[in-house]
Amino acid sequence: MALDIDRHANTQSPLQRWDPRIKIFSLGLLIIFIALLKTIPMAATAILLAIIILIISALPRHFLLHGLSFVLVFLVPFFIIMPFTYPGEPAFRLLGLPFAWEGLRLASLIFLKALAIVMITFAIFGSSRFDISMLALQHLKCPKVIVQMLLFTYRYTFVFLEEMRRMHTSMCARGFVARTDMKTLRIFGHFIGTLLVRSFERTERVYKAMLSKGYQGELHLLVTFQSGGHDYLKALVVLSIAVIILYGDLSGALHTAEQGWY
Amino acid sequence: MHISEGILSAPTLTVGFAGTAILAAATMRNLDMEEVPKISVITAVFFITSLIKVPLGPASIHLILNGLVAVVLGWRAFPAIMLGIILQAIIFGHGGVTVIGINSLMLGGGGLISYLVWQQRHYFNFKKRDFVFGALAGAIGTISSGIVLAIALVTTGEAFKAIAYTVLAAHVPIMFIEAAVVGACAEFLQKVKPDILAGQRPVKITG
Repeated sequence: MALDIDRHANTQSPLQRWDPRIKIFSLGLLIIFIALLKTIPMAATAILLAIIILIISALPRHFLLHGLSFVLVFLVPFFIIMPFTYPGEPAFRLLGLPFAWEGLRLASLIFLKALAIVMITFAIFGSSRFDISMLALQHLKCPKVIVQMLLFTYRYTFVFLEEMRRMHTSMCARGFVARTDMKTLRIFGHFIGTLLVRSFERTERVYKAMLSKGYQGELHLLVTFQSGGHDYLKALVVLSIAVIILYGDLSGALHTAEQGWY
Repeated sequence: MHISEGILSAPTLTVGFAGTAILAAATMRNLDMEEVPKISVITAVFFITSLIKVPLGPASIHLILNGLVAVVLGWRAFPAIMLGIILQAIIFGHGGVTVIGINSLMLGGGGLISYLVWQQRHYFNFKKRDFVFGALAGAIGTISSGIVLAIALVTTGEAFKAIAYTVLAAHVPIMFIEAAVVGACAEFLQKVKPDILAGQRPVKITG
């Protein structure tokens, strides 16, 4: 299943052995720094860095490719629109449309940055079990109630997805075909309504069962975090690279022409 | 519709996170422990129904349904939508981590406006009332998100104007589809399980 990010949490690699708290903190900072980049060479370095992190994480390739294919769909429109709509003097005309290199540069920059960030996100959350990542977030001062709701939602998602598939199968068995008309939309509305009611009633039962077992707004996991010298060493490596990238970007050592943005 | 990673400038991203933090704190005040599972259920449904594809001519679109979340959860729609966006960013790489703030502000803010519209139904009384106000909530949730997205793009730079208009135009067909789906869903819930809907008022029974 595409949603299951826990599947490869038990692969052995330096990333899996890293204390999740320090991993989320340092790679999170790296992501923020990448989001601030403005030059192509540094964004390309960020991609390279993301690829290296993914190789170290030893996550299987098909798992990553599946995730990245979503991102690509979102980014393709930028390449189609930006070069042709960039304000100012066009470099030449392509099929009668003004083509500006600066627009293409912006689109590529966005593409590189987005891809690098998404790849690193996969490395962070694909390399630990979801509940452990969430517990780590709680240790990083993320509000307890939000962590609780994320854990609940994540668990419910799989149950409801199964429910949705079952309902969809039975709908198709009764001859439903999705078309572009009001009837289809009304059926979708009722479908979602049924899903809501069913999920809701199921959760009420689950919640009562949890209460009777002593649930008091906190899940207790048999996990304790331990951080040693090598955890901090990895963090130091990542953070120094992050600072170097951002410095290289700001110092303008590799600056290319830049206008109209920021 | 999400805004993708790597486009917005640092100030816009910061505004997104600050606005989200404020709205989340405001809408999560006096949160009862019993509400935690309810919000999580709706978030999970919101999350998986975004996988439903609705055919639109030769192409197909994904539903957004922030209006529906508002119809069911009221003000608590904001944290629910925010959670959905966090999960999408972590699991799919939809949107992204640094844009969680602005995306929550965009979709969750649209949800809050939808709820305001949905609440106006108490002033009216006609046969198709729940369908009409559900549809309005769905449409307004979608289009206000589109407007916030366009504003975020335009304030980032002159170069993004064309993208902003394209995005806004793309929201128009989605708006009509959302309206039909959310309207049908609200009408259905009113009939089947009215206590699941937000902002219900006690019904006066007259002889």
